[in-house]
Amino acid sequence: MTVTITQHATCTFCGCVCDDIELHDDGVKIIKTKAACSLGTSWFLNHTAERLYPDALIDGKEASVDDAVEVAAEYLHRANMPLVYGLSNVTCEAQREAVSLAEKIGAVIDSHTSL
Amino acid sequence: MGGKVSCTLGEVKNRADFILYWGGNPAECHPRHFTKYTIMQKGKFLPEGRKGRTMVLVDIRETMSVKAADIFLQVRPGKDFEVITALRALVKGNRVDTALVEETGLKLEQLQDLVDRMKRCKFGVIFFGMGLSMTRGKHMNSAAVLTLAAEMNAFTKFVAMPMRGHGNVAGADMVLRWTTGYPFGVNLCRGFPRFNPGEFSTVDLLVRGDIDAAFVLGADPGATMPQPGIDTLARVPTIVLDPKVTHTSRLARVHITTSVTGISSPGTAYRMDEVPLPLRPVLKSPYPSDEEVVRRIIAAVDKKTAWLPRPETMSSGVA
Repeated sequence: MTVTITQHATCTFCGCVCDDIELHDDGVKIIKTKAACSLGTSWFLNHTAERLYPDALIDGKEASVDDAVEVAAEYLHRANMPLVYGLSNVTCEAQREAVSLAEKIGAVIDSHTSL
Repeated sequence: MGGKVSCTLGEVKNRADFILYWGGNPAECHPRHFTKYTIMQKGKFLPEGRKGRTMVLVDIRETMSVKAADIFLQVRPGKDFEVITALRALVKGNRVDTALVEETGLKLEQLQDLVDRMKRCKFGVIFFGMGLSMTRGKHMNSAAVLTLAAEMNAFTKFVAMPMRGHGNVAGADMVLRWTTGYPFGVNLCRGFPRFNPGEFSTVDLLVRGDIDAAFVLGADPGATMPQPGIDTLARVPTIVLDPKVTHTSRLARVHITTSVTGISSPGTAYRMDEVPLPLRPVLKSPYPSDEEVVRRIIAAVDKKTAWLPRPETMSSGVA
């Protein structure tokens, strides 16, 4: 088992976004953190690169991402007033794509800020 | 009321000799806030560190954060707006009725002492949490506290900053601001952005059942919304993008598993002081990133007919 050490990793658990975390990983799991708080440590240790969930689900049944994308596009295109919600645990790049999607389908777009 | 007088957390670390936390529990919710950014650090202009700073905590009950505070003010629940209004009056030297202050659970002397300390400091900062912004008064409380900070600048340097909960919720505000002009609750139904919290905010749309489809990413409203809102998500076609199969995924028509932000997918996240930081992913995920999946959905939508009337058809028909 080779352990890779990454310096200055960024934690996105809470709004502090600490960017001074040291991570030790074995390629599949993060096995050790340094400088992270208790919340950050559990965030890093509990997310792995394992395949724990199906790629996609359509009506609760396992499906391919290609099919799920098509079905999603069909629902969103057909809707008169769709809602795009969340955005708080994704990157700014993903948020920008979500705004683009919201504009295309004529949606309301909102984040946790409104709660 | 508008505008926010703010600064970066680096300035707080180096300059703030008066730190007020209002309606938040950083000791448990933002554990490194004290040690990395605020009271515990030795700053450029605060070589004494903790000794050189005054920390005040305002909350409705004693939390773990009380131990770190020099002064704790326990406000009666739902009376924050009244306290801020009284403070604003005292800052301007206006007379405040003792009986009215006592309704808030505090004494006039306590508020006068707080105002004196605020005026005496060199650099003051108010961090406000969801205990202020999500209770009675809601965004009016936030507006009042931002105004208080702005008005304090007649006497000394003073700023205010919200304590953001989720990792990149500040980024969501930033991206929506530069793309649509508004920070949240933006309706693009008519092809141009409209902003109206209370009408276009998620919880209201869901509880009223105004929507006919939902696309959820980086959130789990199925676990956090009021029951009528969850019923709406189950009734309409809901699509979820998440690294895990969440409560929302279980009531959704479509779930797509994505890689974890910052651990497997690269990008940018905004800290609560609106400083963008690059992410350094360390693990290679078997799943695509949220960004990639949204882009693929856009490509699939692009193949269908546009929902807006085309320019050539707009002039015909309706006069």
